[in-house]
Amino acid sequence: MFPTTVEKVTLGSLHFRKRKCCYVKMEGTDTGGNTYLIRPNYHHKFKAAVVKECIHDILREQLSGVQYDPDEVGVLSRSLADCIKDKLKDVGFDRYKLVVQVVIGEQRGEGVKMAARCFWDADTDSYAQDIFMNDSLFCVAAAFGSYFY
Amino acid sequence: MDEFQTGEETAFVVDEVSTIIKESVEGAIGGNAYQHSRVNQWTTNVVEQSLSQLSKLGKPFKYIVTCVIMQKNGAGLQTASSCFWDNTTDGSCTVRWGNKSMYCIVSVFGLAI
Repeated sequence: MFPTTVEKVTLGSLHFRKRKCCYVKMEGTDTGGNTYLIRPNYHHKFKAAVVKECIHDILREQLSGVQYDPDEVGVLSRSLADCIKDKLKDVGFDRYKLVVQVVIGEQRGEGVKMAARCFWDADTDSYAQDIFMNDSLFCVAAAFGSYFY
Repeated sequence: MDEFQTGEETAFVVDEVSTIIKESVEGAIGGNAYQHSRVNQWTTNVVEQSLSQLSKLGKPFKYIVTCVIMQKNGAGLQTASSCFWDNTTDGSCTVRWGNKSMYCIVSVFGLAI
């Protein structure tokens, strides 16, 4: 129902009514909660370069001068993974599920190869990895981000 | 209108995935000794075979498969992972395989859509 005002206009001998219609503006819906975005905005995309730098900083900070110790390496790798995951949550990848994998190995001249493949949506999902090495250990950390529709 | 199936169809089943991975690893590097020149190809094969078998399951999941192949040398190796996901639907599975000359560790992460 639109409220209308009717004006009577006279023009010479012609009489006609001018009808003015006013439209009531609907209240905008609340854009808080779930917006059903199926693609992230460019700003909210999982940026590999930014993540790689985060990982690099954390590895450098926590592993400089550390020797490989079989008793402690379990706790160390776990804490590194949690630390990287928490840092990435703070950076602000809101709609992303995160998987962080940390591999620490002893340096004894052995050959090691690590590979990864992902079955995902290449537009929205991405990963970043970094490697840290010193005389007694090497550490590979990989962070994968998968958009949650 | 299709009925959306929930329940057993959309949970990450560790046993099933574990079996698939073991078969893929056996198939790709089964009776071989560690060779530096071939390890590149082996990791690729293991990972690609696992992924293609997993995608054939037809479940609404995104998969991340990582594989580490390491020569047996007396050195130690530790893997850890930390995940920010939905515990009810998502899951991971790690398979350790070894022969006389090398270890192969495959991790699979399944994220529900």
